[in-house]
Amino acid sequence: MIREPFKYRWLVLGALFILLATLPVWGSDYMLLLGLLFCLYAALSQMWNLLTGYSGLLSLGQQAFIGFGGYTMAVTTSYYNINIWLSILAGGVTSVLLALFMSLFIFRMSGIFFAIGTWIFAEILMLWFSNWEYVKYGTGLFVKPPNPPSMTMIYYAALTMGVAALATVYLILRSKIGLGLMAMRDNEAVSSSMGVEIFRSKLFCFLVAAFITGTTAGVLYVFQIFIQPYKAFAIDWTVSLVFIVIIGGIGTIEGPIVGSLIFVLLSQYLSEYGHISLLLLGIIAIIIILVAPKGIMGTLQEKTGFELLSPRRLFSEEPG
Amino acid sequence: MEALMQPVINGILLGGLYAVIALGLTTMFGIVKLVNLAHGDLMILSSYLSLALVTYLGINPFVSLIFVVPIMFVVGFALQKYLLNRVLGKEMEPPLLVAFGVSIILQNLLLLVFTPDAKGIMTVISVKTIQLGNIHLPVLYLADFVIGCLVIFFLRLFYNKSFLGRAIRAASDDVGAARLMGIDTSNIFAIAMGIAMITAAIAGVLVGMTFTFYPHTGPQYLIISFGVIIIGGLGSMRGAFVGGIILAEAQLLGAHFTGPGYQLLIGYAVLLIILAIRPQGLFGQAH
Repeated sequence: MIREPFKYRWLVLGALFILLATLPVWGSDYMLLLGLLFCLYAALSQMWNLLTGYSGLLSLGQQAFIGFGGYTMAVTTSYYNINIWLSILAGGVTSVLLALFMSLFIFRMSGIFFAIGTWIFAEILMLWFSNWEYVKYGTGLFVKPPNPPSMTMIYYAALTMGVAALATVYLILRSKIGLGLMAMRDNEAVSSSMGVEIFRSKLFCFLVAAFITGTTAGVLYVFQIFIQPYKAFAIDWTVSLVFIVIIGGIGTIEGPIVGSLIFVLLSQYLSEYGHISLLLLGIIAIIIILVAPKGIMGTLQEKTGFELLSPRRLFSEEPG
Repeated sequence: MEALMQPVINGILLGGLYAVIALGLTTMFGIVKLVNLAHGDLMILSSYLSLALVTYLGINPFVSLIFVVPIMFVVGFALQKYLLNRVLGKEMEPPLLVAFGVSIILQNLLLLVFTPDAKGIMTVISVKTIQLGNIHLPVLYLADFVIGCLVIFFLRLFYNKSFLGRAIRAASDDVGAARLMGIDTSNIFAIAMGIAMITAAIAGVLVGMTFTFYPHTGPQYLIISFGVIIIGGLGSMRGAFVGGIILAEAQLLGAHFTGPGYQLLIGYAVLLIILAIRPQGLFGQAH
């Protein structure tokens, strides 16, 4: 039995996709820039949501993968003249390797210790890169690919990342791993005794998130042209991702999309106010946690039952 | 060997300071199970408050504590009572994220008021040293250490002996039972946070005199506090003291052997290794 909202959800998503896919044709340069930022933030926040909202892994160290992926891309393409798209993929691969190494340490910790462990790793990377001659210390690197891609190409790469991140989370959540993850999030002890392989599921999500975050960072730094350790490994990245997911709705697939849209528009609108913009973002985030702890999409789901993408399988639902 | 004595002794002295920095975080961790991600920023707020008082009133930084300590107590009390208490529950994320929000707000507020320039609180003892054979004891580090030990001593006394301190611990052990005994737990938690902020105020003034600081230095001290707590174990004040010394030794000896650029890096690396071997900390109990 297929419920009525089924049609709407593909309609809304399809319209959004067509709108974004044709943006270079009808949009201005400024709109293309906003679209690019929206796609990149949607991909990054989708991954933070996969970890924190679904897997119970509170990560404060996503910037480790952003910096590592970005630097891998910059080094391989500028030093070794490797094709830009291959370099971006290489950033994803090295991020997975980094995540594997990190997991040796941080998967022994749980809860807040895990969060701090990821953050400390990012800080270590920042210090290491700012003391490393190979990447020109703290002064940073210019990304000089052999064939610099056009803005439209970069935009489509960003759109690909946004769609890939969404599809990945959707597929993971509807697979056996996803069902196990949600059972685990609700009650770790019970789900473990029911045969959910907690460790492997969590590690799988951690590695997937590392790959997509590292690749997305590659696209981001192709666009930004310049990478520097104090910016790339800064906790500010995770601050933004937290903000996006909280506003949109933690533990919902649509949340990061809605949150990214609001974040990009809000930060563009507030950017002329300088530091006040961050201050206001902080205040808005606190108000939302106090008033609507489940964010915009979470509250909407609770009130109306409206869901764009349900992680549940439709046939297992009662006809609504 | 003699060349090593200087960093070793400085490390012990600096460890006392690190312990006070972490004290407020570890007590709140132990009492409310709250991870106050704004701890470092609240401490730096105290540094700036002291700096403003020293600059405009021309008083000694130690005297400025008379004003900074009560101000920070009120700040902590209000923060807990009107913001953090409202999101305390079985979920770990909401209080964490509210504190994160407070941290962002504080950093940018400090940036607006005090500009991004490096600041430091100058005193007459800033550059003085005591000569002991070949070793120079910086008077400021010595003051940090002595004051740090005193704060830990009195805080332990407070939590073990006073009625209020024991009420706070009782409320932490069993909220329901404490309420039945007529203890207003929401006020108790707010007072605990106020007390944590008193230690942060003292730490802030000491840090302000010892190091230069910026509006964005807060998270750096937050990570140092985490390091101290992780090494020393959760909620343990004695652990915080030992953790502070181990972390400071790792940093200063690291800097001694590899150069100052790697000072922080080696401190963090030691931290990670300890975490990987004993996830509950050296003095923590397995849970």
